Amino acid sequence: MSAWHRPASLTEAIGLLAEGGVVAAGCTDLFPATRRQALSGPVIDLTRVAEMRGISETRGGWRFGAAVRWSEVLSAALPPAFDGLKAAAREVGSVQIQNAGTLGGNLCNASPAADGVPGLLTLEAEVELAGPAGMRRLPLAAFLAGARRTALAPGEVLVAIHVPSHAAAGRGAFLKLGARRYLVISIAMVAARLVVKGGRIDRAAVAVGACGPVASRLPALEAALAGIAPEDAAAAVSEALVAPALAPIGDVRGDAEYRGVVAVELVRRALRGLAAEGMR
Amino acid sequence: MPDVTPLPAATPIRMGSNAGQPRTRADGLLKVTGRATYAADNHPAGMAQAVLVTAAIARGRVTAMNVEAARAHPGVVEVYTPANRPELALEPDAKPSFFSKLTETLQDDTVRYEGQPIALVVAETLEAATEAARLLAPQYAAETARVGFDLAPYAPESVGFGFPIEMSKGDIAAGLSEAASTTETVVETPPQYHNAMETHAIVAEWKDGKLYLDTPTQAPGMSAAGFAAWLGLDPADVVIRSPFLGGGFGSKAAVVGAFLLAIQAAKLLDRPVKLALARHQMFGHVFHRGATRQTIKLGMDAEGRLTAIDHHTTAVTAAFEEFIEGASGAARTTYAAPAIRASHDGVRNDVGVPGAMRAPGEASGSAALEIAADVAAEAAGLDPLEFRLRNYAETDPMSGLPYSSKALRECYAEGAREFGWAGRPLAPRQMTDDAGMLVGWGVGTATFPCPMFGAEARATLRADGTAVIETALIDMGQGSWTAMAQIAADSLGLDVEQVEIRGGVSDLPDSGVAGGSGYTATLGLAIDNAGGDTIRQLAEIASSDPDSPLHGTGNTRVVARGGRLYAQDDESRSESYADILARAGRETLSGEGKGARGENDANDHSFQSHGAVFAEVKVDPDLGQVRVTRLVGAFAAGRIINPRMVESQLSGGMIWGISFALHEGAEMDPRTGRILNRDFGEYHVSVNSDAPSVKVLTIPEEDAFVNPLGVKGVGEIGVTGTAGAIANAIWHATGKRVTSYPIRLEELLDL
Repeated sequence: MSAWHRPASLTEAIGLLAEGGVVAAGCTDLFPATRRQALSGPVIDLTRVAEMRGISETRGGWRFGAAVRWSEVLSAALPPAFDGLKAAAREVGSVQIQNAGTLGGNLCNASPAADGVPGLLTLEAEVELAGPAGMRRLPLAAFLAGARRTALAPGEVLVAIHVPSHAAAGRGAFLKLGARRYLVISIAMVAARLVVKGGRIDRAAVAVGACGPVASRLPALEAALAGIAPEDAAAAVSEALVAPALAPIGDVRGDAEYRGVVAVELVRRALRGLAAEGMR
Repeated sequence: MPDVTPLPAATPIRMGSNAGQPRTRADGLLKVTGRATYAADNHPAGMAQAVLVTAAIARGRVTAMNVEAARAHPGVVEVYTPANRPELALEPDAKPSFFSKLTETLQDDTVRYEGQPIALVVAETLEAATEAARLLAPQYAAETARVGFDLAPYAPESVGFGFPIEMSKGDIAAGLSEAASTTETVVETPPQYHNAMETHAIVAEWKDGKLYLDTPTQAPGMSAAGFAAWLGLDPADVVIRSPFLGGGFGSKAAVVGAFLLAIQAAKLLDRPVKLALARHQMFGHVFHRGATRQTIKLGMDAEGRLTAIDHHTTAVTAAFEEFIEGASGAARTTYAAPAIRASHDGVRNDVGVPGAMRAPGEASGSAALEIAADVAAEAAGLDPLEFRLRNYAETDPMSGLPYSSKALRECYAEGAREFGWAGRPLAPRQMTDDAGMLVGWGVGTATFPCPMFGAEARATLRADGTAVIETALIDMGQGSWTAMAQIAADSLGLDVEQVEIRGGVSDLPDSGVAGGSGYTATLGLAIDNAGGDTIRQLAEIASSDPDSPLHGTGNTRVVARGGRLYAQDDESRSESYADILARAGRETLSGEGKGARGENDANDHSFQSHGAVFAEVKVDPDLGQVRVTRLVGAFAAGRIINPRMVESQLSGGMIWGISFALHEGAEMDPRTGRILNRDFGEYHVSVNSDAPSVKVLTIPEEDAFVNPLGVKGVGEIGVTGTAGAIANAIWHATGKRVTSYPIRLEELLDL
């Protein structure tokens, strides 16, 4: 079998990548997707790269190393704005998958049904990329270029995910709909985050996943929610405010029309849940 | 040795006899500690690894394979394709036994379904074989695949295993035309694939003129005979070791071509060869439950009594071979009516051969008939349970024979009481819970026949008074080792700890077929007879020995208990087995027994197990999401040997019913005939959190006719009734009558 590199530093990792190879992290997507004897070429396992590990509060907000595992997200002490991301962490595959799969892998794999994406979109996440040409930062929405497509340049890796302080405010929620109770690929999912000031929604961030090639925010709805009471938020949701942001397809899991309908309902529920949380 | 697995001692719960006790699994400790060996765990010295290459199209021909590239890969030992396929003694299309189906052994370049074997690669390692299989890169000339029901139907030869395609009684036309009201219900069930946790696997080794096979089989004797026929061997020279199966569900009885290829490779290469199917290869080559479209017409009088049941099934079978899911059989066995017709036709698709999958026929048929019964109850304005009671079959609906026993009325009553059925609103969409979920209750009738095949066993008393039972017993997770040991102990008058079970190998007495829900009845009877035969011989020895306290009792007037024989009329006269054998100078004493249905028994009675399943569902009115929140199943299945194993079988069957109703189904791509969900990520079965409170009640039932043990069998009945009960509960919750399984979320919304 080919070499299996475990670089300890980002510099080392980028150096290895320049020579070509397969990037590996939790391998929960990589292995099942590989239907041959070996991965093609040397493997660069990023899970030991120091810069890609750990969750920390920085001056500008919160930083998640790309190799952070879902179970680490679940057990981290994070503000309520991250409650949606935590709820998603609990629904990514099984506990075994959550112990292996990484945030960065979820983003780089770029599945339309990636459970981590809607929550990170509502958290205004930015991705930090590093490659031979240096470092750069992109909004997550710009990083996700389509189904199974990202903005990663050759030789470039996702190093970390940053959530700015202003987005770490308020409370988040996440809802996932699948055909069975657990261990299921989403038919539709919704993340929402509300910042409430003086009994009014100061800022709303809502995103829908698995209803288009990439998960997307709902800007029209977010604008409509601003300034109203959280308990009125669910009632303010209409198909007209949600549907334009979606491009669902019909597949084995659900048909397109159904996805459009349930996405609206899931948004309502997420907002209703947040309103109820806020009143406690 | 995998064939000798002594029963580990467990703390016994004793309340008299061994049978009837809820003993834990005899093989439980071995399994949870990883010491139970499954077929693929066997790695004899020098073993090569085989990988099956399967077709990626549903219909057409293989036009090219890069055999040179595959051969050139390091570690590859041999690549078999139609060009160098190993010769068989019989044509691959020969069907050496009644249960055999056409199979594929690389006989030509034709592809008749996706997943059909098209090559076998053998290498030093699994990795090398896998890579070489990829390097073969088959090219195809694909033809348009035939998919779905809307093709010209044809009249099959038979249904299931040899049933006529149509059975009827009475005047259907009159029953329908003179009815006060009629209903017609069309229900579709999808193709389902067994997918036992253990995929099909074989380790083949030719040694000393014999063929040794480690492979899971539900019928070691039949499998050995099948392999022998295809390979031109004496069946005695084929030894199958199959102590444990990781589930079978009907898919592990008949010989499949892939196994023949691995065996042939082992012979040609003169070394052991192992082949284990990958998960996605379980979708095609190793049988499945064929799709059905069922049309059920019911006629009723003004009181809701059925005047006619007309149940027609169109079953999808393979283009090249026939197995018809006998779904209309449900009409013959469930409700009373003066006119009944159960008919079938077939539609040929480019799929692998369907076959027996847990409750073949009954599962699909009951899933449809129970919806139809609910539709009729609604039309008659009757509570669904009341409707079923009004149409209770006091005798076999088709033959008119009396039942050997039938406690279905008690099942309905006890199940309804436990569930809290009383007070159920008649109209749908009447109940909600605090969270605004729509709540509905449904019921389904469960029934399954009680066949007996044939089995043999040998019981041997040993000098120390303990015993060993020998038969090619297999345990596929249902708990047969445990239950058989209990039967054996009772037949020998011993504690279960004193009885060793030696099984799992085909050169022992033939254990028959672990299938058709008839294993405990059939093999249990063989063991009971073997034990009885042994005790009779022992009594003969004692009775004819002047030095024995039992001298002169004869062999009929003794009782075997606790390792001693007692004179029936004088408990003070007794002697231990060990003493009797010692004085007779015997190291061992063996008896033999057979288990089969009495020759004329089936002419006198109808043998069916029965049950009633009650389901509660909660349906999200805005998402269409269904949760089964409660299941109660009450079953009457004759004598229960081990209540713990039986409850496990029945609740497992009911959970299978949840999958049938809500999750399971292969999605065929109509353009290509390929299966879109050939893995556990997308081929859904219930997960634990989908299985709610599942309550099993066993209703006492004594049956003096079904067989001397009074055992009816519980392996499959739990699947029947449940899917229909859930579908009916969904209607009751939502007012929507979904008639296509699995019931999808989007069908419950007004889109």
